[in-house]
Order: sequence, then structure tokens, then C-alpha cells
Amino acid sequence: MRTLFAAAAIVTILGGASAATPAPSGAYLYIGWPNDGQVVSSGKPIRVWFGLRNMGVAPKGVKFPNTGHHHLLIDTDTPGPGVEIPNDRQHLHFGTGETETTIELPPGTHTLQLVMGDEQHLTFDPSVQSKKITITVR
Amino acid sequence: MRKTIVTMLSAALLASLPVLARSPAPQNAQVYFIWPSDGMVIHHAFWVRMGLRNMGVAPKGTDIANTGHHHLLIDVDLPENMNEPVASDRNHLHFGAGETEARIELPPGRHTLQLLLADKDHIPHDPPVVSKKITVTVK
Repeated sequence: MRTLFAAAAIVTILGGASAATPAPSGAYLYIGWPNDGQVVSSGKPIRVWFGLRNMGVAPKGVKFPNTGHHHLLIDTDTPGPGVEIPNDRQHLHFGTGETETTIELPPGTHTLQLVMGDEQHLTFDPSVQSKKITITVR
Repeated sequence: MRKTIVTMLSAALLASLPVLARSPAPQNAQVYFIWPSDGMVIHHAFWVRMGLRNMGVAPKGTDIANTGHHHLLIDVDLPENMNEPVASDRNHLHFGAGETEARIELPPGRHTLQLLLADKDHIPHDPPVVSKKITVTVK
């Protein structure tokens, strides 16, 4: 009996820890600029606009309903729902609530994709993410 | 005498408090309209896209440096007193949930739109972060 309780407690704890924040209904994330297929010139910074509808922006660590912060993924895939977003050169975090940025990329073809993270940098369930776009730097 | 000085000092302190309460903004902070642009003729229902540079967006009540939330001023001038919270009415729309886009409906005719960023207490920053006032025509 006691074992059963303990097991139940563990399940509850694990369940609580892994429960992803549900995505706000109607949340729509998109890259406002550049456009898919855009050719940009190398040697000058590329401005990227983060578009978000039916959801708000909040810095990391801020718990506020229906908000999250932007992450820009470069030449990589999204991690899926309820997963901590890595923090490296391919996963740029915008934990101060930024809604645009400038990046520099080497010549060639690159993919860009936005994904929202909750106050703990976890993706939502379902993941709030933009279409993955391809740009060419030359 | 001593009491008078203390009273005067407290009065001076109190008078200066609203000024102290304003959150500083970076000199290069810039709020602007991504869409619509100045002079545009638009449909009566449209999405306003609010752009912000060199600062971040945070919901109301969030005490983090260099952040604020958007306010959309419709057919109205900037508040005269920037030490007070931005009014909340049909001419001053608050986006206290950190929204960066908003669906707006306006009657036909010419309208002005202007963005004003404000801090956790809805008080504009120092210096105020204000967009250009644009004019749109709803057909």
C-alpha cells in the first residue's frame, strides 16, 4: 500500500516536471522578415523580424499567461514539444523580450525558424513555431 | 524649526518621487510601426504590427531593466504628463500581456496612430520611447 502511494507520488512529480505549457489557442508565430527564398548580400547584418499573433512576449523567468520568448534557430530543426531549447550558436535566445534582431551568416544557403519558449525555455505543447524558411547569402 | 526643515525635506522628496519612478530607457531604443506605414489606405479591420529596437517586451508588472509594453494611441496626442500612467480608454490601447501585434477596427476616414512604450506601472520611460505619429485612411 505504502509502495503504491510512493509510486503514485513519483508519477505525480515526474508528470508535473515534464508537463509542457499548453500553447495559447490560436498562437501564430512567423518570420516577418526576411521572406522565404530571399537572397541577401553578405557582409552586412541581416535583420530578422519576429511576428507573433494571439500570444504575448515576456522575458525569461516571467510567468504570465499566454506569453513566451522568442528563439531563432539557424540551420537546425526544432526540438519538439515540451523540450528545453538548447543555447548555442544555432539556437539564439531572446530572453529580454526582444522582438527583432540582426544576425550575420556566411555565404551559402541557410534555414531560419522561430520557436517560442516558456519561462523555463521549454517549448510549448503543441510547439509554437514558425515555418522554416530558407535564405541565400551571397 | 527642525520640524519645518524635516517637513520641507519630505515634501521635496515626495515631489521628486514620480520623476524617480520613471524607468530609464536606452538612448538608442526605438519603437515604430512595421505595419501599416504612414499615408497608407487600409481596410477597416487590420493588424497593427509593433516594432521595437534595442529594448524588450514584457507584460505589465514585470520589473526588468530595458523592457516595457506597447500602447497604441489612436486619434490623440501624446500625454502631456509623462510622469503619470498612460490613460486606458478607446484612444489609448494597452498591450499589457506583451502583445506585439493587434487586430484593430476603425471607422472610415483619416486616423492617426502612434506607439508609446511604458514600463511595469504603465508610465512612459525616460526618455520616452515614442514612434512617429502616422496617418492612415480607412476606406
